[in-house]
Amino acid sequence: MPALGSAEFGVRTFYAASHPNDKCGPNGLPLTPNSVKILGRFQYLTTLSHPRLCQYLDISKTKHECMIVISEHHKSSVKEKLNSGQGLSENAAVSLGFQILEGLTFLHEKNVVHRNLSMDNILIEKQGNIKLSEYGLYYMTDYGADVSFPIGLPHYMAPEVLCSGPLKVDEDSGQCIQPISGPKVDVWSFGIILLELLLGREVWSGLSLQETFVKLMLLIKSDMSPLDYLCQDASLSEKLKGTSKELKDLLRLCLTVSSSKRATSEEVKQHPIFRSSRENAVAHKREFDIFTAEVRSADLELPTYEETIANDFSDDHLSQRSMQEVYYLWRLAGGDLDGALRKAGMSKTRPPIHLLPCYGILDGDVFGQDRDNAELLNNTVITLSQEQLRFRLREIPATAYYPLLEDESKYLSENQLPASPSYGDLANSATLPLVIREKDVDYQFHRIILFERLLNAYPFKRPYIWREARVDIPPLVRAHVWAAILEVEGDLEGWYTSIDKETPTATDRQIEVDIPRCHQYHELLSSPTAHAKFKRVLKAWVLSNPQYVYWQGLDSLCAPFLALSFNSEALAFACLSAFIPKYLHKFFLRDNSAVIQEYLAVFSHLISFHDPELGNHLDGIGFIPDLYAIPWFLTMYAHVFPLHKIVHLWDTLLLGNSSFPLCIGVAILQQLRDRLLSFGFNECILLFSDMPEIDIERCVQDSIRIFCSTPKSATYRQHARPLKPKNSTDRPNVSYYSRDYHDQPQTDLSMEPIPLEELKSEKYPRISAEDLIELGELAGSANSRSPTKKRQNSKPMILILDVRHHEEYKRGTLQGSINIPFQTAFSPEGELNPCPAVQILNSRRNQVIVVVGNRGRFAANFANELVRLGYSRVCVLHKGIDIFRTTNLLIIPPADI
Amino acid sequence: MPHSIEKDFTYSFDTKTTTSSLKVPLTVPLHISAKEFVSRLVHLHNLPCFVQQDLEDKLEEFVAKETIQLHDKNADDAIQKVKTGEIDSDDLIRQWLPVYSQELKSYAKPYQLSKDEKFAEVYHNLIHSPALETLLNLEHEYSLGVDKLTRERDRDLQHLQDKQRADMDEALQNVGSIYKDEDINLLAQKQFENTQIVEGKWSSELRALHEQQKNEYREWVFQVHEDSKGKAPLPAYVQRLRSLSSTLPDAGVDERQAHVTRLEESFTIHLGAQMKTTHNLRLLCTDILDLCRHKPHTVGGMVIPQPQRLQTAMSLYSNNLCGLILLADNRLNSYTGIKQKFAQICDSSTDFHFPTLDSQLQTIEQQLPKAAEVKAKKKGGNDDMDQLSLHSTSSSSSEEKEKSGDKKLHSGDFYLTKHSNLSEVHVVFHVVSDDNLRTSDITSRHPVILSIRNIIKLCFRYDINTLTVPLLLTHEMSEEMTISWCMKRAELMFKCVKGFMIEMATYSSQESKTIQFLVPRGLSEELFHQISNMIPTIFRLSNPLVVKSN
Repeated sequence: MPALGSAEFGVRTFYAASHPNDKCGPNGLPLTPNSVKILGRFQYLTTLSHPRLCQYLDISKTKHECMIVISEHHKSSVKEKLNSGQGLSENAAVSLGFQILEGLTFLHEKNVVHRNLSMDNILIEKQGNIKLSEYGLYYMTDYGADVSFPIGLPHYMAPEVLCSGPLKVDEDSGQCIQPISGPKVDVWSFGIILLELLLGREVWSGLSLQETFVKLMLLIKSDMSPLDYLCQDASLSEKLKGTSKELKDLLRLCLTVSSSKRATSEEVKQHPIFRSSRENAVAHKREFDIFTAEVRSADLELPTYEETIANDFSDDHLSQRSMQEVYYLWRLAGGDLDGALRKAGMSKTRPPIHLLPCYGILDGDVFGQDRDNAELLNNTVITLSQEQLRFRLREIPATAYYPLLEDESKYLSENQLPASPSYGDLANSATLPLVIREKDVDYQFHRIILFERLLNAYPFKRPYIWREARVDIPPLVRAHVWAAILEVEGDLEGWYTSIDKETPTATDRQIEVDIPRCHQYHELLSSPTAHAKFKRVLKAWVLSNPQYVYWQGLDSLCAPFLALSFNSEALAFACLSAFIPKYLHKFFLRDNSAVIQEYLAVFSHLISFHDPELGNHLDGIGFIPDLYAIPWFLTMYAHVFPLHKIVHLWDTLLLGNSSFPLCIGVAILQQLRDRLLSFGFNECILLFSDMPEIDIERCVQDSIRIFCSTPKSATYRQHARPLKPKNSTDRPNVSYYSRDYHDQPQTDLSMEPIPLEELKSEKYPRISAEDLIELGELAGSANSRSPTKKRQNSKPMILILDVRHHEEYKRGTLQGSINIPFQTAFSPEGELNPCPAVQILNSRRNQVIVVVGNRGRFAANFANELVRLGYSRVCVLHKGIDIFRTTNLLIIPPADI
Repeated sequence: MPHSIEKDFTYSFDTKTTTSSLKVPLTVPLHISAKEFVSRLVHLHNLPCFVQQDLEDKLEEFVAKETIQLHDKNADDAIQKVKTGEIDSDDLIRQWLPVYSQELKSYAKPYQLSKDEKFAEVYHNLIHSPALETLLNLEHEYSLGVDKLTRERDRDLQHLQDKQRADMDEALQNVGSIYKDEDINLLAQKQFENTQIVEGKWSSELRALHEQQKNEYREWVFQVHEDSKGKAPLPAYVQRLRSLSSTLPDAGVDERQAHVTRLEESFTIHLGAQMKTTHNLRLLCTDILDLCRHKPHTVGGMVIPQPQRLQTAMSLYSNNLCGLILLADNRLNSYTGIKQKFAQICDSSTDFHFPTLDSQLQTIEQQLPKAAEVKAKKKGGNDDMDQLSLHSTSSSSSEEKEKSGDKKLHSGDFYLTKHSNLSEVHVVFHVVSDDNLRTSDITSRHPVILSIRNIIKLCFRYDINTLTVPLLLTHEMSEEMTISWCMKRAELMFKCVKGFMIEMATYSSQESKTIQFLVPRGLSEELFHQISNMIPTIFRLSNPLVVKSN
């Protein structure tokens, strides 16, 4: 995306044609509104960046199919040059013409036909270079089929366009019946424009619409060459007399009626007359891409100091930022599109009561309605004032635009926020709710700049990105930050291209059925463009993972990635490919029941562990996780929430390990706790069939809390992803807890697979001896594996409860444990018999209770009873006390407690 | 003229010993990148990797060439057709002209506001200014005038009726003695004529009054608007304003209380699976015409306009309209039943903004032939589908219908009237219903329900944010409406409306709507509560706010 420079933001509106009532497409679903189609097609245009083109920035859709397009804009246009009345000199016209051609050839190379070239939309920027604008209208409207107005002005209309007649739309396909205009129509328009530049006035000035058409028609029908035909006009031939033969030749090349004889834009550009222009032209540099196998700094040239000075080093640092970024900040700084349009009188519509029809029939057709004149195409461009944004950012010092990443002193500091003079403010902002931070222009400004620099240094700066992402992720750069967190790197485009996404396969049908139901409230994702992309990405995933199958839900998983990296299917695909093994290892096996069953069993353990009351209630009414939680986990909540909530959830989820999603599940249940406790089975089913609103930020905070208070081995699953071969050192080892359990080396004291039956019969999680040692600091705090200094609450406190016979306990137990022998613990009513040890147990209720027994079922039964009694955070030591025999951690308890 | 064309691409390459060649069909223009196509080829034909780059270059060149040729051919064909006269050039130009003059602002005739719209604009400005109260009071004054006239009319007609009855009674008693049967007939005819004359006189008087008031009012509004625009800081206009508003005494305590409390209950609901939109539902039990009728409302002994009136007036030209569904029969008039009552309410004050009900109905009538044409076309086009959607209309003698033709209303059609003088409504949808609505086994494909779908669609399209729907699809309680009948009907309607709302919200903005479900007066309170208890089971209510003690 090019830098802002001296560009302004221009806004145009137009109305998409509305469909006749209740028409259905070939798939039986209602037709997609044209506005949504346009929205989808538009996205490609934002990827076109060229110095001779006005950058497209954004599109939005308002009520009644009105589209608002925001693009780069410059105030003066070539038309003003024309209005001076004087024609340009041959040299001036040629050099202007060459610049237009540069833009046109770039467009044609990218398969975009302008079709709309006219004097009005050839703009001139401050330095005097030209920029084409409005070049995407023909493309984004599906070659004019989605709008009811014609594209291109009659003056510049190529003969074949005129002869094809006004556009007609095929009722069934929604596409135009006439052939789509080829790039050569632009060459004709270019010829006319060149002629007008020389002439200093319009070729057919002062003619009415009809007269223009008649003239053009006569020109087409005559056998003279168009240039000769036009030269019948005395003033024109006068003007052309003085010009070189080469120029006339060029004009003839362009102004040829027959398309096959007309030159292409590239051929015109190679015309001898442009020789010197071509030599002086600066090659257009390719966009910087962080995911590539090429050497990214190959043609990096650092300007010398002198050059920088010579290039008029400006104090306007904002203008050095990318246009998209400035536009994003503009919106945050209170930039109000509707307001600007209203002020300019562009959004003025007639009151709806005047437009209402007066009669409607059963089939839905209505009669007697009025058309709103506001729907006619209005070519006015509104420029958005950047004043407010600049005012908001005026206090920001120049250094904040160029933050240093390699400053060692800050690198080590506790707080991870970028250091800037307004640092104090930022630290404050960082504690505000996320929704507010995302709307705070100052805060976002700093965050975006920081992330942008970090991403440029990706993958080298991955640990830094990781750390910053723990604070928050600015929405503007989210797609790339997620990719960085998922450790995506390399030549994604090449990888994606090499997968065959076109050949039909057996899963196509299911994919086609699922896509039109996946997050369709999202305007972008409901467009046909998105559907096509969806299909390609999903097919690519299925093909590149032959061991897996397509399960419904994969579409939901794909949606957040596709919505974020809409213009890069490869990136969306790569993220999806990295995400699934991390969180959903083996979930997409043809027979995934063992994997899912284990996952759900662990989930119910976790519910009981954190909320035994709720767990007991749900168990009691038979509302087991199988009934509601499978779509949660299979889609990592992407099927449950709307996209704007998913992104916030995943911002945190991506930083957590593969067990974190379980904690989110518990957090969701806790938010609905009151209702669930009061509900019976049927009401619970009803509640989850249509998920109530969930406060996502609270959910995220809760799940982090739950995660931190859960011993790592409690969420052990044998089907989780096994240890990765390479031990990535990229990610900072910030805490013992955010690592996957499987990433730690295995020892005798580690967790091991438990048969599913056993897992399901238990109401509590098991923890490993290793975890017990860690949590109880049995080996002394120096041996702790977590490198970060623990705060008081960063790690759960534990209480070790030895349930063996008192004699056995006497012979040797773990340090700090208390003893309640199982045989004597419970009264006939099932209550705990009071004794000093029970008092200790009751007084330390918020701690993790580790029930330790030996090989028998004592520990298991004891723990089940505790859960039944509503004790929270009960777990059992896996394999009992015997496992400690080989260690030297067993001690003789002090006499009598 | 095709958009794309199939071409054979051939490629050959040499290895040490052999020359291999490859021929594949491909569609021009290629809709995926050449690179991707090449990798497909490589996979499919197991090509060696060293040809990949060369193949890609060749393919790209081939596609570019063929694409240009395709475009050229299409273009030249089009030009040739005009040159040879196969397509008439004048005709072509005639086709082009309206495309520009009707779709591009720069070529179109500048839009002229009609007289009504000019008035609308001025009115909308004034009603959102301090002049609001004055305007309403003035409107109210006028409506009192109309009221007076209608009362006189009613009295006169009553008087006439009484007198005629007396005459008739007397005559009937004396049949055979003084009067003959023919005389009675004659008398009856004469009386009827008399009534017609008197009625005609009154209605023309009423019309004249409406017309006069409307003109006066509009003139006044323009005048006030001119005054307020004038540079001199609002002398005349403020005075006019003050004089009117100062005459209002303060409200007495007892008068502030609402007159009749109507049974109602409100709900806030969420619709949608992932993305939720918030809407409001209200269940209320009252006579549907109560939403139209102005009730007398007194302050300090003076009759003044109702507060609802203010809301209705202020939002008339806004993007927040209120609509109401009224069930009607298949005749476009207002002579009988609820239509007549509705017409009386419309006439009880002057509509300063829209034509009278009668003339609106006339306008609607003009649209009927057009509608019939569309219907006929659809019928011809797709017989099966038509039968499916129309099977529930009583189509015993469809041919007869065809003959009586275009002017007939069919079950499930609706016509729409606009009003500025009703109490809580701007737009009334008159849905043509039929008798089988009384049976208990109507389905979601019943024409009236489909019509409600069309209406909800219009509401989304034209910013009608509040819609009142007769929940049981009747305006009065009747015998066959047992408890189970009512519950079944209510459930069907809730579910259908929910479905329509979800459907319509799919592509439109996240605006929230209010749907008022109306049950007729006379429904037992118990049944009302049963129906209202049904709402939470069908709609997802928004999260209850639970206050916790800690």
